Amino acid sequence: MFDFMPLGWLQLKHQKLRLLSAILGITFAVILIFVQLEFREALFVSAVRYHSALDYDLVMVSPKTEYLISSKEFPRNRLYQTQGMPGVRSVTPIYSRLANWRNPIDRSRSRSIFVLGFDPADRGFARILTPQAHEKIKTPDQLVFDRLGRDEYGPVAELMAAKNSVSTEVNDREVTVASLYAIGTSFGLDGGIITSDLNFLRLFPKDKKSAITIGLIHLDPGEDPQEVQARILSDLPTDVLVLTRQQFEELEIAYWNNTTPIGYIFAFGAIIGVIVGLIIVYQILFADVQDHLPEYATLKAMGYTQGYLRNVVLQQAIILAVLGFLPGLGLSILLFDQGAEATRLPLEMSRESALQIFALTVAMCAGSGLLTLRKLRGIDPAEVF
Amino acid sequence: MAGETPIALHDVSYSYGKGARQKQILFNISTSVQAGEIIILTGPSGSGKTTLLTLIGALRSAQQGSVKVLGQELKNAREQTQIKVRRQIGYIFQAHNLLDSLTISQNVRMALQLSQFKRSEGRQRIREVLERVGLGDHINKYPGELSGGQKQRAGIARALVNRPRVILADEPTASLDKQSGRDVVDLIQELAREDGAAVVLVTHDNRILDVADRILHLEDGHIRSLTEAVSEGTSRMLNLLEKHDPNSASYLATFAFALSRVAYADNEVSDTERTEMRRILQDVAHLQDGEVNFIMDISMMQKRAKAELGNQNVNSVFDTDRKKLLIDSLYAIARADGHVHEEELVEIRAISAEFGLADPSRESTGPPA
Repeated sequence: MFDFMPLGWLQLKHQKLRLLSAILGITFAVILIFVQLEFREALFVSAVRYHSALDYDLVMVSPKTEYLISSKEFPRNRLYQTQGMPGVRSVTPIYSRLANWRNPIDRSRSRSIFVLGFDPADRGFARILTPQAHEKIKTPDQLVFDRLGRDEYGPVAELMAAKNSVSTEVNDREVTVASLYAIGTSFGLDGGIITSDLNFLRLFPKDKKSAITIGLIHLDPGEDPQEVQARILSDLPTDVLVLTRQQFEELEIAYWNNTTPIGYIFAFGAIIGVIVGLIIVYQILFADVQDHLPEYATLKAMGYTQGYLRNVVLQQAIILAVLGFLPGLGLSILLFDQGAEATRLPLEMSRESALQIFALTVAMCAGSGLLTLRKLRGIDPAEVF
Repeated sequence: MAGETPIALHDVSYSYGKGARQKQILFNISTSVQAGEIIILTGPSGSGKTTLLTLIGALRSAQQGSVKVLGQELKNAREQTQIKVRRQIGYIFQAHNLLDSLTISQNVRMALQLSQFKRSEGRQRIREVLERVGLGDHINKYPGELSGGQKQRAGIARALVNRPRVILADEPTASLDKQSGRDVVDLIQELAREDGAAVVLVTHDNRILDVADRILHLEDGHIRSLTEAVSEGTSRMLNLLEKHDPNSASYLATFAFALSRVAYADNEVSDTERTEMRRILQDVAHLQDGEVNFIMDISMMQKRAKAELGNQNVNSVFDTDRKKLLIDSLYAIARADGHVHEEELVEIRAISAEFGLADPSRESTGPPA
């Protein structure tokens, strides 16, 4: 007969201060959930920055390798052995290790940095380094620096823009930054440099040329990586692992998620966010229902059903979810912009995670609403008189 | 269903609790309320009047006897039946029970949307009913912005918007001042008459009893006769007055006695006489309004009693048994000090003559032992 009269909303709207505090509470919970889940997501995305930027079809690592930065050594010959196998087109041996970087401005400050070395004639770094950078690192003690590394390494990018080259020391050896690349940091990785295999061995004079940590394998066009992987594994001893791109990334994520408490902590933080939100919404709805008990009893006396009252409470829950989520989303985006700048982590709001968290918020509020319904069940219309 | 009795109670009993702690609240209540009739339910707190109201209102299920409201039997009724009946009843609550977060018109709409109306018709209806209770200018205000009387009138509008055939009101004047309370019951009366609704009104407020077609007095769960209740209440009040202000009591009693004797000597009180009596009592004797009313009412009662007896209408009030009883009682009082004086006998004969009663002492050998 009428347009729908949203009693739940009218009741919420009537107590503006309470509505505001409810919205703030939910906004807080939403931000908490966003930040926790997004940091967790960023952890995983950032942990596989090199994994996804490098060009390869299969990768060979040591079975002892748990994560990229602490890749363990294996014989370079194992990689060369695959070269003769059907489907394999070429391979790229890579040396990697943490070195000691001195700040070019203040050389008394040093910090460990991730170093990758490869033969610039080999394939694999095309998406990371320019052809010019490939050329430059052929010169002794020239290297390429990750301009998205942490600020503690010094204003290398600014110095490069001004002088076109920067000198500093790595492992107490005088080196020159000849070019820049952009990968970014992750939880275990503050910054990185890439250079040639020869330069790498100059930085680590005690390392053997025959022992590498990562072997990239490129296949002939049209080859199925999984088939080739199976062939290689059946022909080689078990002292090396051969992984597809996906398996390589999963290995890294599994380490950060399971072996370290980091992934767990963020998941836990998100759960806390949900619980906090649940409690806040429950408190608000409970107080609201409590205040309106005589009114609800009156409505029942007038002939309204229990179902109507239930819908009023659920309506309030959904409204609170929407009103709390929107500012939470906005503030999270702002926070992520700030956070991405400060941490150089890939903090971005994806449409999927926004939708996911919206669904979570609605579920959280509806859950609180359902808890409140128990209060509603006790209403006796005879008590209005 | 036209012509059917809107409310019919037969032998209704109700208890709270179970087993040893069971407490019976209502005992064998039978009554019915016709369309257009206003029943006032009075009685002290805890007498069961609210319980009775909730049984009629389908808010509680009757346990024994039969509660028929608008043709539906409510004894052990299912919730669906209860809800159906509730929607056909207009409730007026003590504390008005408006929804604070809704405007007055939205509050009325909450009741209206329980029944089927076209949108435009509904709007029209809300406006009409609010204008009818004098809130035409306050349609979009919130209850918090209205006075107590206005809120109660909004509650009445809500109760009446569906033109219910049964209206139940619980202490509708309890929170109101005298004038607002009067306005509210007059409004209920007027609207109930227009719509031909059966009205049950629970109240403690003696000032509004006159709107009732019938008064049901409940005490300890039983319906008691009104005479009993009124005389008990009145004698309690008179004793109270006697105890705390004996001077006023005898002053008033004297006035009443004197006034009735003089004014009704000719068995007729004209309007001019009445006005003059009021004027004298107020201006000359400096009596309060309430005291004037008291004296006038007592005088009127005496006048009516006398007039009916004088008109040989004795049989309607005093049948043979009652006549005998009255005279016997007079003798009993005279004999109370152990001896019947001659003066006492003379007075008894005078009273008998005055009220037109035959003196039974001539028929019998003397007062009964």
